[in-house]
Amino acid sequence: MKNEAIIQLFIENAAKVAANPIKVANTKEMNSELAKIIENDGNIFLRKKTYCEKAVRLPKERIVSDYLDAAFTIEQVDGAIAETGSIICSSLNGRAVQSSVLPIHHIAIVKADTIYETLDDFFGNFPEAPPTNITLITGPSRTADIELTLTIGIHGPEKLSIIVL
Amino acid sequence: MNRVSKAVSFRSNTVKALNDPSLRAAMRHATSTFGKKRADGIGDNPFEEWREKASEIRMNVLKNLEQYVDMFAQNATKAGSIVHRAKDSHTACDIVASVLRDHRVDKVVKSKSMITEEIHLNSYLEQSGIKVVETDLGEYIIQIAGETPSHIIAPAIHKSRQQVGQLFCDKLGCEYSDDPTILTKIARSVLRQEFLTAPAGISGSNFAIAETGSISLVTNEGNGRMVTTLPPLHVAVTSIEKILPKVSDLALFLRLLPRSATGQVLSSYFSLITGARKAGESSGAHQLHIVLLDNGRAEISKGEFKEILKCVRCGACMNICPVYGLIGGHAYDSTYPGPMGVILSSLLDGLDRTHPLLDASTLCGACSDVCPVKVPLAKLINQLRQKKVELGLASMLETIGMTGFGIAVEHPRLFEFLQRAANRVWPLAGFIDAKVSDRLPRPVASSFKRRVS
Repeated sequence: MKNEAIIQLFIENAAKVAANPIKVANTKEMNSELAKIIENDGNIFLRKKTYCEKAVRLPKERIVSDYLDAAFTIEQVDGAIAETGSIICSSLNGRAVQSSVLPIHHIAIVKADTIYETLDDFFGNFPEAPPTNITLITGPSRTADIELTLTIGIHGPEKLSIIVL
Repeated sequence: MNRVSKAVSFRSNTVKALNDPSLRAAMRHATSTFGKKRADGIGDNPFEEWREKASEIRMNVLKNLEQYVDMFAQNATKAGSIVHRAKDSHTACDIVASVLRDHRVDKVVKSKSMITEEIHLNSYLEQSGIKVVETDLGEYIIQIAGETPSHIIAPAIHKSRQQVGQLFCDKLGCEYSDDPTILTKIARSVLRQEFLTAPAGISGSNFAIAETGSISLVTNEGNGRMVTTLPPLHVAVTSIEKILPKVSDLALFLRLLPRSATGQVLSSYFSLITGARKAGESSGAHQLHIVLLDNGRAEISKGEFKEILKCVRCGACMNICPVYGLIGGHAYDSTYPGPMGVILSSLLDGLDRTHPLLDASTLCGACSDVCPVKVPLAKLINQLRQKKVELGLASMLETIGMTGFGIAVEHPRLFEFLQRAANRVWPLAGFIDAKVSDRLPRPVASSFKRRVS
């Protein structure tokens, strides 16, 4: 499958699991999308470690250094899987995977060239000594434990947004 | 094995369940919803091909179980986990309790784990003075209600929203609501505090990966992620048969498990955890203990019922079972209900306790058809019924009846005589008990043999 088709498939499947995916052409577009997403109040946890994270332009006063104080986490994730519409988060490069489960809204930036087509492509190319934690995230936190009624946002984020750059 | 001699009072449990209209309604709703979701999830995917392959992988693990367990233990240790082996429930509980005591832990947060239900870990820890907080919403509901799970993936499936609302109102002192969204929010805020303050977390593991020594969790709520990343100490309890040889096997099993369980393409969260936090990392517990529980499984893997150990605990067999759908999980009075539960419980607890549960099957075979790893559930239940008879555990009436029938079919004249007699006596049956005459098929007026000869 061509790269464009893989991106398209990822966006379709991520939309099916309420992960609000959007494709942007450049960091300028990314910032205008981010501005819309974080319109409401709330602190933002952002590490500014990767190229994409460094390109994020946001009001400085809203950025906090502890994810426990944040309503939003904005981070560049390690990749994505088109087959399932999942994003890949790991503990590589000193990242705290828990920073994407505690805030009420998780905003993930996915580099378009890090999207795997299938689960086999991802699990088939695994490092011999994996990082401590690798988590696939497929949509927001959900439960159906009361009468099998779907309820979004039990322990983890109520909302997930994905920006493909 | 945890041999308990007293047999499960399955018949009276069943009568009680059948006379509980609220349970009946909950079960009707649950099994039909689950069934539809699974069908949608399977869709036009090559399910047969997937389950064939998955079954093969699981069988290979079971055939070489000892080697895989050793490989897993070695690689987990290499990755920085502390591995413990437990031959039975008591040893496993004791290991967990002593790890927690060593760290002076007085409270643990737990994510959903059937293995810890099997070994009754919560009551063991509570007796050791350690507070246990279940954090999966369903598990939390039944914990504060003082009950046990009635389904392996939806533990509080037997409760209505009104019952949960009343329970929260009574136990948490909040205002009554029967809106699942509001109740979920209440649980979120209560449990968030527990996550942030607990010094230790306990989890199970859906799959353990031999080549990397990793454990893994498939969840929807996010509590599993919190339990395994927020507290400084993490104890994972898993049974030895849950091993998959390679990381690449996960692709197939992640296609099968969520679809079979909830119909999802993938659950919200899948975490693969390999060892404790390493230098330079900000994720993971500082210490990870893995308790590998045998509890009779090594023995089962060598015997005629080994295929039950292929089970990945999706719950599809209970969702489709006509018996489970009527009576719910509590009537089985065992850790694991439904078709897989009848078999596994019999092997873990012994037939002298579980033999009445073998009646909880119509042998329709629907469970075998939906099983994502092709466990021949109906066949195994039938084999266990034979065992039950061999062990002399069948009821006297059944034994007399079957012996009589055996004699009759071996003697055609006797058979014909009895058939004619049955026809004569039949009208009287209504006088004795309408229940009997309504349910029994009417004897045929003339036998097939007579009609063709």
